[in-house]
Amino acid sequence: MGPAIKDEAEKNNTLGGDAASGELFDSLRMELRRGCLVLAVLAQLHEEHYGYTLRKSLAEAGLEIEESTLYPLLRRLETQGLLTSEWREEEKRNKRFYRLSARGERVFGLLLAEWNGINDSVNKIVQKER
Amino acid sequence: MELLKRYLQAVGEHLPARGREDTLAELRANLEAEMEAREEELDRALTEAEVAAVLEAHGMPVLVASRYGSQHFLIGPTLFPMYWYTLKRSFPLLVLAYAVVQLVSIILGSGSGADMGQRIGAAVGHFPAVALTFWSIVTLGFAIFEYGQGRFFPKLTLPKWSVRDLAPLQREEKKKHPFASGVADLIVSILAIAWLLAVPDHPYLIIGPGARILHDVPFALTPEWHVFYWQIIGLLVAMLPLKAAMLLPSLRRARGWMQLAVNALGILIMVVMVQVRTFFVAGSGISAESLHSLDGINAGITLGFKIGLAVAAVKFAWDLWKEISAEQHRGADYATVL
Repeated sequence: MGPAIKDEAEKNNTLGGDAASGELFDSLRMELRRGCLVLAVLAQLHEEHYGYTLRKSLAEAGLEIEESTLYPLLRRLETQGLLTSEWREEEKRNKRFYRLSARGERVFGLLLAEWNGINDSVNKIVQKER
Repeated sequence: MELLKRYLQAVGEHLPARGREDTLAELRANLEAEMEAREEELDRALTEAEVAAVLEAHGMPVLVASRYGSQHFLIGPTLFPMYWYTLKRSFPLLVLAYAVVQLVSIILGSGSGADMGQRIGAAVGHFPAVALTFWSIVTLGFAIFEYGQGRFFPKLTLPKWSVRDLAPLQREEKKKHPFASGVADLIVSILAIAWLLAVPDHPYLIIGPGARILHDVPFALTPEWHVFYWQIIGLLVAMLPLKAAMLLPSLRRARGWMQLAVNALGILIMVVMVQVRTFFVAGSGISAESLHSLDGINAGITLGFKIGLAVAAVKFAWDLWKEISAEQHRGADYATVL
């Protein structure tokens, strides 16, 4: 989550009401982020990364993600055939590098189109709110 | 780095054996990279407290390990509504079947029925275990089905359905005739009171011509019945104006509360019946065996009324809570309109 979004969320939590609505917001936020994370990870893995550098690059782009969420997600995406991985030595340490597979490329293209469609629709719908 | 090793060891304890070493090696590489990046930032080696902070931020070992596993369902979201529906629909049938079996067993049971009260109590006490066994079997059946589909047989596909096949609007039907059912209830109540008032002078009204049999049995109603009898009649009569008032359209809003008052009077009748304790007393020339049977019958009837009272009290509390909630909603709606 980008700092701006996080700040807004914290402001809502403290100013917007009780602990229950804060919990509800957290749960809805998690739900909202779950699908976006997969898309962001696939997008970022057009270039090869190992777990830690991928997390850093996502954070630099404004999308912070916990290690304990990201690393298992990489495993799962690899099991689903969307990523390929290989162990390689870098800076005297063995690291597992991931990148998008051919199947991952195709699925990413479809997901991106879907994301853009949803994004456009939601933007149109919430325009009145702005 | 001892803390890191200990952390990885703890995570490894909860990982499946297959792929464990690979997962731990990757986790180690990522954590070491993170610590090195931190050291570069600080331009010094991390203290033990800082290493601990990195590991603690990564998460509790058991939770971290669980995220590497695939998601498991005992009963998945597709099957769960059917599982729940099966439980809801079959539970009343279970209660009915159990009650019938126990009743037949008590009636046909050996002995003279002297310990009928005890046997009824034992049957009621045994029911939770039966219900638990039933729930376990249904749950196990669905869990096996969940596990097997896709592995041993094709996945469940929902049958085709049509909105035209759905059941008719029962509630709407009921709502159409509240007045008719209210009138019928009032008439039946009046007839029931008339019947109760007539029975003492006309005992054949209890079981018709079979009332003669009562003359031959070696026991009779307890004399205390005269007191309880009039208490019950009084309570039944007290229900009549409430039931009549419920028919008035002008009191429609208070119908729920009046129904609660009627139910409360019904509970009072149960309280009276529980207080009776001895329903039948021995007549002259009763044998020792029949006297023993009589004790059992009295105990059984008392227990039956106690159970009935407990159920009625719980139902009353539930109805009261619903009525209070409905009243609050009505109040809120009224405030909104204003």
